[in-house]
Amino acid sequence: MSTDISRMRNIGISAHIDSGKTTLTERILFYCKKIHKIHEVKGKDGVGATMDHMELERERGITITSAATYVEWAGHSINIIDTPGHVDFTIEVERSLRVLDGAVLVLCAVGGVQSQTITVDRQLRRYNVPRIAFVNKCDRTGANPVKVRDQLEEKLKHNAVLMQIPIGLEDKHRGLVDLVSMTAVYFDGPDGETIRVEDIPAELAPEARARREEMLDAASMFSDALTEAILEGRVTEDLIHQAIRRGTIARELTPVFLGSAYKNKGVQSLLDGIVRYLPDPSEVENSAMALDDGGAEIKLATDPAAPAVLLAFKLEDGPYGQLTYIRVYQGRIEKGTELVNTRSRQKIKVGRLIRMHADSMVDITEASAGDIAALFGIDCASGDTFAAPGFNVAMTSIYVPEPVISLAIKPVDKRSLDRMAKALNRFTKEDPTFRTHVDPESLETIIQGMGELHLDVYVERMKREYNAEVETGKPQVAYREAISVKAEFDYTHKKQTGGAGQYGRVIGYVEPNPEGSYEFVNDVKGGRIPREFILSCDKGFRTAMKKGDLIGFPVIGVRVVLNDGQSHDVDSSDHAFQAAAIGAFRQVYRKAKPQILEPVMKVSVEGPSEYAGNVFGTIHQRRGVIVSSVEDGIFSRVDAEVPLAEMFGYSTQLRSLTQGKAEFTMEFLRYGRIPASIAEALAAEHAARKAQEQAR
Amino acid sequence: MVRTELVKRSPLRVLEGAIHGGLGHGNIAVLASPKGVGKTACLVHIATDKLLQGRHVIHVSYSSRVDYIITWYEDIFKEIAKDRKLTDAVDVHDEIIANRVIMNFKQDGTKTEQVLKSLEAMITFGKFSADTVIVDGYDFSRSACEDLAKFKDFAGRLGLEVWFSASLRETGVPFYDADGVPAMLKPICEALDVVITLHALDQHVEFRVVKDHDHPAPGVLPIKLDPKTLLIK
Repeated sequence: MSTDISRMRNIGISAHIDSGKTTLTERILFYCKKIHKIHEVKGKDGVGATMDHMELERERGITITSAATYVEWAGHSINIIDTPGHVDFTIEVERSLRVLDGAVLVLCAVGGVQSQTITVDRQLRRYNVPRIAFVNKCDRTGANPVKVRDQLEEKLKHNAVLMQIPIGLEDKHRGLVDLVSMTAVYFDGPDGETIRVEDIPAELAPEARARREEMLDAASMFSDALTEAILEGRVTEDLIHQAIRRGTIARELTPVFLGSAYKNKGVQSLLDGIVRYLPDPSEVENSAMALDDGGAEIKLATDPAAPAVLLAFKLEDGPYGQLTYIRVYQGRIEKGTELVNTRSRQKIKVGRLIRMHADSMVDITEASAGDIAALFGIDCASGDTFAAPGFNVAMTSIYVPEPVISLAIKPVDKRSLDRMAKALNRFTKEDPTFRTHVDPESLETIIQGMGELHLDVYVERMKREYNAEVETGKPQVAYREAISVKAEFDYTHKKQTGGAGQYGRVIGYVEPNPEGSYEFVNDVKGGRIPREFILSCDKGFRTAMKKGDLIGFPVIGVRVVLNDGQSHDVDSSDHAFQAAAIGAFRQVYRKAKPQILEPVMKVSVEGPSEYAGNVFGTIHQRRGVIVSSVEDGIFSRVDAEVPLAEMFGYSTQLRSLTQGKAEFTMEFLRYGRIPASIAEALAAEHAARKAQEQAR
Repeated sequence: MVRTELVKRSPLRVLEGAIHGGLGHGNIAVLASPKGVGKTACLVHIATDKLLQGRHVIHVSYSSRVDYIITWYEDIFKEIAKDRKLTDAVDVHDEIIANRVIMNFKQDGTKTEQVLKSLEAMITFGKFSADTVIVDGYDFSRSACEDLAKFKDFAGRLGLEVWFSASLRETGVPFYDADGVPAMLKPICEALDVVITLHALDQHVEFRVVKDHDHPAPGVLPIKLDPKTLLIK
């Protein structure tokens, strides 16, 4: 490995599903000599691409967990963090983005910028990740890399610049013209491993010159030296590389590479692009929160001599115990280094330190600032920070969305019960968007997540990895309740049953909070409620809002204004005021005209235009609202807003209606009001369930 | 002001009156002007007025991006709501927005047959009971008469009002003939039921009705578009 930080790259490969991301990763490993044979995703040879290392992923042909893989190219060390492509696993994507210094945005030369490309690009933007683009599948019918470049500009607002032009497209895709060196590049040999450089074919020369002009124009914005050189006619390749690199790292330019990973074209040129244009760890600014200093931000230095700071970004249960993937942000570690988990305050000692290549691993002796590695035998949760003793910092927390769907699960027998508990413990540590709890009323185990597929995958993993068979109930949507008008309360909680009495009176009003969150306003004058009990009232209201009266779901978006009350010298207590607040909320809730809200998803369906009519139909059936439809020749995209409750089984329906040619993605958009008829049905169901429980 | 009142007092009632009760189902209107005068704003106004009346609108666009069109609607709704002090503006907004669908086509790649096929799919499969279709960005300079005839036939069959915008381009001949009809629309004028031209004056934009079904055209209308707020008054 190289210890020179300027020769280190931590990159991710981000893409829409089916853009060929896994195939591309596979080829990168092959050309970097990490694997000796090429496998395909859903391999015809039954082996599957090396990065998809979980059996389940292999079977479904999707990548779920992000494994870090180490490769070497042209004297550089590259860590590739494989990011999952499905929106249901967005937290995995976001967590891996946190540790990236740069990314390759893979696009399909036919499909171009698709709905999920937009999501992924937005995430990359959120974490300020510089990116280069790879337009894959240039061998496919309908491939049009220039159109994809235009879409990068139009839809994603990238300043996208072609670094290459194709020599032939579709089944005539033979190679590339490199616009920097102005040569034609072909990829020979059975696996495209032999690179042959020739003169540009005469018929492509005019286009190549024009595109080079465009590229130089864009690059010269980032380098005065290049601008001068252009004027004086002495442009060198180095000058171009430097300018493109500067623009890319500043995230003001996106170099676009082309090829076909499947047909072994262009991957080596992309690797050159990665080491040339994406930043090394020292060129990216990272900061942590100083825990002793009220969370003040401190900059981390990519300096092996500074106190060590590590982020655990991924846990995996392997045959040898828990594997913790870490990124070192500052300092260095080796076997025996003492560290503190700054969340749990636990001290650990670095034991075995390894570097991963998908399923096989290599022991290493140390890791320093900028490195990605994995530790054995460390107990922690993902997202934890480890730091040198005395250096009490936390890496900024990663944004975690609230789950929108839940599912009751029941182990089939006693043995499965224990295993299920073990599995759930592991999953919740690995994935903060996956949660579990036992419902206090039904005593069922409930799992919660970001979508149907998200939960499905975990149920499957329980079976496969933990041998825990569970029965699942009907997926349950995470409804919410909210009030719609302002209403006043005046409630006295009083109990005199011998011994210490209880007394508390609260007066005020509740009203809808357009922000959608809970807000407590203390407007009590003259100490009518002693200060120490104000907090009790707040707590009481929070408790009351955990379960609404309509269907037993949390109440959101309420502002409580407390403006008067009464206390008693002896009988008032924390407990009494909490009870008063709970009573007040029960009293006022119905007056405030409560409503049921449901999660509404933003759904994008993409596929051939001929199926657009079918898609419109499915959206209508599912109480959806079509926002727009975009037709671009043979491809069309429909964007809609559909209640989550209506989205069950959509993938199956879509597949059968369109012969598998259309696909959809969805993500949480907002909470929306539910139609009255459905609200009544839900309320009746809730009332019946309650009555049944009481009868028992 | 409540919603029904707002509809009743809309300046578009003046336009409706001038063209004898409105465009009418099965008919086609064109708003024409050179680029940048305010055609899209007017179309969005007309669409928003229909939406406020509880009707369903399909907005077809050939050039703009979808989010750009949505912003147009949001802005104009906001301006109207503010100007007219619309009560329950948020609820009204949420209610009418569900009755609007945007369909975007790439002009180069999409033939009129395909556009109409998709529109029909939206109306029948999507159960979207459209009443008005807005077509923005259609290139009249290369449209053939038969294309427009297809639209007309479609409008008649499905009972739709169709409102086009036409961007007038510099071609060497004057934009308008002696009757004020855009030269570019001359060859297809027969197929059009209503033609309105927009004229940017110093302070505002003026509307001239140059064709009104089979009636004599009423000419300049007593309403105008404020180029700053993009409100019609």
